[in-house]
Order: sequence, then C-alpha cells, then structure tokens
Amino acid sequence: MIPPGTILSRAAPLLACLGLLAIWQAASLTLRTDSFPTAWEAVRTIPSILGDKESLINILASLRRMAIGFGVGIAVSIPLGLLMGRSRAVASFFNPLLMIVYPVPKAALMPIIMLWLGVGELAKILVIFLGVSLPVIYHSFQGAKAVEEKMLWSGAAMGLSAAQRMIRIVLPAALPEILTGCRTGLVLALITMVTSEMIARQSGAGNILFNSLDMGQYDTVYAMIIIIGAMGIGLDAAFEKLRGRLVKWSEPGFEIPLSFA
Amino acid sequence: MIEIDSVSQVFQTSGRDNFLALSDISLTIGDGAFVSILGPSGCGKSTLLYIVGGFVNPTQGVAKMKGRAITGPGPDRGPVFQEFALFPWKSVLGNVMYGPRQQGVKPAEAEAQSRALLEMVGLKGFENFYPKELSGGMKQRVALARTLAYHPAVLLMDEPFGALDAHTRTRLQNDLLNIWERDRKTVLFVTHSVDEAVFLSDKVVVMTRSPGRIKEIVDIDLPRPRRRSELLLDPRYQKYVVDIERMIDDTSENELRP
Repeated sequence: MIPPGTILSRAAPLLACLGLLAIWQAASLTLRTDSFPTAWEAVRTIPSILGDKESLINILASLRRMAIGFGVGIAVSIPLGLLMGRSRAVASFFNPLLMIVYPVPKAALMPIIMLWLGVGELAKILVIFLGVSLPVIYHSFQGAKAVEEKMLWSGAAMGLSAAQRMIRIVLPAALPEILTGCRTGLVLALITMVTSEMIARQSGAGNILFNSLDMGQYDTVYAMIIIIGAMGIGLDAAFEKLRGRLVKWSEPGFEIPLSFA
Repeated sequence: MIEIDSVSQVFQTSGRDNFLALSDISLTIGDGAFVSILGPSGCGKSTLLYIVGGFVNPTQGVAKMKGRAITGPGPDRGPVFQEFALFPWKSVLGNVMYGPRQQGVKPAEAEAQSRALLEMVGLKGFENFYPKELSGGMKQRVALARTLAYHPAVLLMDEPFGALDAHTRTRLQNDLLNIWERDRKTVLFVTHSVDEAVFLSDKVVVMTRSPGRIKEIVDIDLPRPRRRSELLLDPRYQKYVVDIERMIDDTSENELRP
C-alpha cells in the first residue's frame, strides 16, 4: 500500500498514464504499421488539432450537446426516480418500460431517431439524454426507496407536507446515491455523444475522429482518442470534486465515532 | 389528555390469514403523566404508539388527543425513535433547529433555543458535528433535543434506549427524568425493559402478545424526584419489578401460538 498524501500517491495517476504511453510507444515501434502511429506522433498532433479553429468549434459543439443532454437527462430522471422510489404505483408503471429500454444500446436507436428528427442537434441530444437517463433513474429510485420511514415520520411530526418531505427529506437523504448515478450518467453521456456523432456525422469530436479514420490520418485518429479520453477524465474529476462537497456529511469525519456516553 | 378507545389493528400478511396486532385496546393517559407500555416483542406496543402519533391508522376504534380524533402526525406529538432517524445531511444544530424553523420561528431565535436545548442534553460543543460522527447515545440526545425543540405536548418514545449499551442507557434514563421533572410533559414510553418502565413511570401498561391486549395497568407509587441509587435499594421498587416480571412470565406462555 502506498500511504495517502505522499508525493508518490499523488503522482500515481500521472505515472500510470506515462506508463501506458511508454507501452504504446514500444508496441508501435515493434509493429511498425501505418495504421498504428507511435504515442509520440499522436501526442504531437494534439496541439495542431486544438489550435485549429474548425476542430475546436467541433469539439465545443460536442461538449455543448453533451451538457444539454446531461442536464435535461438528470432534470427529468432524478424526480422520476425519486417518485418511483416512494410510490409503488409509479414504480410499477415505469419499471417495465425501463426494463425494455435498458438492454438496448442507445446508439443503436440513432438511425431511427435520425429518421424522425434528422441528423441535426436534436437527434444527438435525444440519444445522449437516453444514455444518461437510465443510471440516474435507477440510482435515484434505489436512493429514495432506502430512505428510512422514521425519518419521514419525524418530518411529518414537524409539520412537513408530503411534497415538502419529498424535496426536503427524500432528495437530500438520497443525494449520495443520486450522485453515484449522475457520475455513471456523465461518462455514458460522453460515450453516447461520440457514438451518435459517429453515426450522424456532421460535426463534433466523433466526426473529426471518424473522418480522419476514413482519410487514413491515423495520427489524428489517435490524438482524438487521447483528447476524448482526457475530456472524460477531466469531467469525471470535476464531478467528483463537486460530489465530495455536496455529500461531505455522508463520509465519516473520524475513523471512530466520538463517544462519551 | 390522550384517549385510546377500542383500538384494533390488523396487518395484511403474505399468507392467507391476517395478523391481529392489537385487539380492543382502551387506555386513557392524563396530562403530564409518564406512562410506559411494556410487553414482549411483537405485542404491538410500538404500533399503539404509532397510532397515537398518527403514523398508522387503526383498523378499528379511535385515538383522541384533547377530545379530537387523531388523523395524522402533528407537532403536538413528538416522536423519538430507537433508530434516532436524524437528518444525516444536517449538523447537530441543524437537526435541532429544523422543527422550530418549520414552525416559522426566526432563524436567530431558533438557533438560540436550539443551542440551549443542546446544552441541556449535554451536547454543548457538538453543534457543528454531523450525526455520522456521533455515538449512539449522543445521537439519541440529539434526537430528543430535536423533538423537544418544537414543544410537543406529548413525547412519544419508541424504545428510545433499546439500541444503546447498559451504561449509556442508564445515563440517558437519568437525564430524561431530570429533563421531564422540569416541564412534566406527557410521555408515552414504549419499552421491553421492566426496570426501565418502573424506574421512569407513573403508570406501567403491561401487554400480552398475539394478539396485543392490555393485561394489567400498574400504578407506580414511588416518590419523585427519583434517584437510581436510592430506588434500587427500595423494597417497593423491587416488588414492582418482581410483580411485573411475573405478569410477563404468565403472558409468555401463549407466546408461541401463531
């Protein structure tokens, strides 16, 4: 075990990335095929992509779609999941529907959605929305279901109405679980964002990636994979920071609870 | 005054038969009385408390508070549960302030009252801690302060010390009595401990199980304020404990009947 807080433990993620790049570099130099550039060639291409106005607009368009899909997704899914967790009737209505949608790869719906909505923004945002929704609904549902009955009774005795109990007791009590779902949802938003752009090519990070693949610009392909991966890591790290602040209360502050009697 | 009038409670079970948890309970609790409901587990004593709290509606009969039928929970009846049921996202102070704030008390006033209450239950200095950081005994002190904070006329205590170790339990019993001596709220206290019931109460309601019925109501005629060290040596206290234990032994003969 590496003790936490040391330089080594803080540098560990960086070392892991560098190690991966080193293995890549070695593998590529051994294989020597055109379709597998070295890590250095891929990394060297990144600045030219990020420096290109056209590419930057594409990447920003991707992020915008992702943000809208994620935002609308959690805005719909959290209330739905919470209602399902507290009402048997709501749960038994929506559960079968979700069970049908659950195993379908959301990107596989893309061709159908494109038929309805075209290849533009709306179709892609809808697919991202679908990708985000299920884990957020599921975790909100579980979180709301697990809320202690007596906690709600305590609130009722203080005079909280049913609606107030939902917002002021069920929501905060289920928040750690909800945010776990949102974290999964965020990563799924990135994945569905790229795949939707792969199917409906028009703009976006996925569009750059697959267009350069068609044109045999393998340096750009791999550079884009690194960029998308880095976006995922960055978003996840930012989200974790936010989550840590929001549910600080659910992590024990001390190893052993205080006691005097 | 609380009047429980011919209350019965039937629970649906997964089998074909329904389970009769409470059968024809009638009981009157006077203002300012400390009444314990004592019985083996599964005798429906908590259910009776939940009916008074308005958390459970009785299948038959009616419970009344000050002459009016109880139809739901309200701030005139404050529960304290064995499970504490604190709001884990709120600090200790935030938990205690929750009720007064809900009642429309101004923040500064609610805070001052809550700090005073926390001092009374022995938690001065712990205002900014989260429930997760506290031991069971401390959590139950917070829960008591949180309920006292909105001034319920009746305290409904559902095996409040049941999850605590013997030492902590004794300390909390003493502290509860000291707090109760000051304002003499009506207390309905559910427990399965004979010692606890006799030590605390004016009146002990002994229940049988399956179905839950009142076997006997014992008036505890012991002087107050009560001190544990004096009481344990008092033959009258000892006799109450032995008598009630015998009653419970008699009732447990039918314990295994479904």
